[in-house]
Amino acid sequence: MSFPLLPTTAVGSYPKPAYLLEARRKFLRKHLSKEELTELERRATREWIQIQEDAGMDLLVDGEQYRGDMVAYFADEMQGFAIAGLVRSYGNRYYLKPVVVGPVGRRHPVTVEWFTYAQSLTSKPVKGMLTGPYTIAEWSFNEHYPTRRELVLELARAIHQEVVDLQRAGARFIQIDEPAIHTRPEEDFDLAVEAMEIVTDGVGVYTVSHICYGDVPKIYPAMLKLAVNQLDLALKNEEFALLETFKKSPFTKDIGLGVVDAHSHRVESVEEIADGIRRTLGVIPAKQIFISPDCGLKTRTAEETVGKLRNMVEATKLVRAELTGTRERAPA
Amino acid sequence: MITTVIGNYPKIPDMPAPGKWRSAVEKFQKGQLTEAELRQVEDEVTLEAIQDQVDAGVDLITDGQIRWEDGQTHFARRLRGLSINGLQRYFDTNIYFREPVAEGEIAWVEPVSVRDFEFARRHSPRPVKPVVTGPFTLARLGRNAYYQSGREFVLALARALNAELRALQEAGAEIIQVDEPALCRYKQEYSLFAEAMTVLVDGVNTKKVLCTYFGDVDGVYPQLLQLPFEVIGLDFVAGYRNWDVIARAPFTKTLMCGILDARNTRLETVDEIGRAIRRITGVVPPDRVMVAPSAGLEFLPHGVAKRKLQRLVEGTRAASQALKGVQA
Repeated sequence: MSFPLLPTTAVGSYPKPAYLLEARRKFLRKHLSKEELTELERRATREWIQIQEDAGMDLLVDGEQYRGDMVAYFADEMQGFAIAGLVRSYGNRYYLKPVVVGPVGRRHPVTVEWFTYAQSLTSKPVKGMLTGPYTIAEWSFNEHYPTRRELVLELARAIHQEVVDLQRAGARFIQIDEPAIHTRPEEDFDLAVEAMEIVTDGVGVYTVSHICYGDVPKIYPAMLKLAVNQLDLALKNEEFALLETFKKSPFTKDIGLGVVDAHSHRVESVEEIADGIRRTLGVIPAKQIFISPDCGLKTRTAEETVGKLRNMVEATKLVRAELTGTRERAPA
Repeated sequence: MITTVIGNYPKIPDMPAPGKWRSAVEKFQKGQLTEAELRQVEDEVTLEAIQDQVDAGVDLITDGQIRWEDGQTHFARRLRGLSINGLQRYFDTNIYFREPVAEGEIAWVEPVSVRDFEFARRHSPRPVKPVVTGPFTLARLGRNAYYQSGREFVLALARALNAELRALQEAGAEIIQVDEPALCRYKQEYSLFAEAMTVLVDGVNTKKVLCTYFGDVDGVYPQLLQLPFEVIGLDFVAGYRNWDVIARAPFTKTLMCGILDARNTRLETVDEIGRAIRRITGVVPPDRVMVAPSAGLEFLPHGVAKRKLQRLVEGTRAASQALKGVQA
């Protein structure tokens, strides 16, 4: 890895440009072909790769311009699922909730083509981006498997195949999102751990799991048992309150440190972001830290997203310079 | 045996229509719609939710809680002393609510749910049951940054919500439901819970429902029967232990039994519902049984929720007929 100290990255999704939203609506009404839609998804992917390069980020994401939803996307591409319909998650935000109607599994690689395309656009590494088995199971209705355990483990085997295929396609960083992992911490956190062991079993790339919201203190330090190199977490949403939790027991993995709030319209200032990073340095060593937004940014506007990414990189540079003592002196 | 629902109902239709509520909220947020116009749309959607329940044949309905952002903020925003914080997961669901925080003396200012109750009653041929989130659940899903103790926080909420229950009583509600799902998760605090319930219903003489869901009442039953409520709601899906629990002591109240899974699209068969009702009526006489889904139906897409309502009524009617046959 030839990253600078405190590499900057992102969680996964970026907002879709207006032309793509319009195209998706037309596609649903069958006024646009799949090929035409894909071409616009590629255009949007190119634009986001360019924006991330311009911002100076180190480890890029493809922006998920071709996904509607992190679970429904996998459900659509895999067998055993049907789409039940829209269910509210909060406010006026809804997601397509799939329903498991038969044995689940892969028909074909799900994300390899998009990963390969995004990686072909840049010399910076792009993360392979998957949704974890526990979250896919938890955010689906289950009409087929007698127990959640059977469903989760079957999905883990399918996602493992996807990880192997991404690695074969050249991915050096693979992220497996598990935002639902703390849904039933007492009841089946061990199941989520077991599932992640299956997903990353024998894999030789750097692995990340993104976990957001919910009661993180409740699964800490147990979450350090997850078989990945890095845990990516939302710190900014609660003004770095999680640092108190990490003080109680050392954070033994790398952390993807969420430093800008993905659910606020406000673009945090460089100084405010730098301050969050500095506070973290008192708790977790710099060499274990990647800098990232709290969560996928798809619910922000493009302008807010670019502002947040840009300030995040500037703030990181500021702190990096303070740490390495390379800050340029203002001319006398 | 009558049929009822727990409370909330999907606010938007199935795909591909975006739904007028969702479009209206978006426009309201962009400043393209006034608050009064948004209320108008909410009224329309409320009428549709009422119509779905009436068409299905549900006996005791709610307004579908179309106007509720979530069970916490709907009340917390309208009480004095609470501010609203970031998103939190609602129990073990994938629904999120904003966390209420006590930052000052909590007080009831004006009715929160009376207008909605009156609106629903005016437009429903069936009796309407107003629902209030209970003080214990509001406190457990909230944060206390003001009171000396958790107990004071809960009791302050109970006093404030007592005024809400009294306002509903004054508006003519014949039955009022109090939702306390948090009881299933914090049974060790039962004595505080019981104290709060006494404060909550002081001077409220309507029929009252204490509604629990997302778990069982193992450990607080039969004590629960001592509380000043005429109806106790239990979830027999997530709280499958309740099947054994209710057999341990005579069920002296009316049981609102949640037997259709409100959180899974799989539609129960009439036979399955019949078997469940037979099991319930082996313990509680049919005239003290209300049949319901296990929780609010907003966990389901609209079409499925509607079919659950139809099946609820169909299954309960068939079971009623069968029971009458046995008695005859």
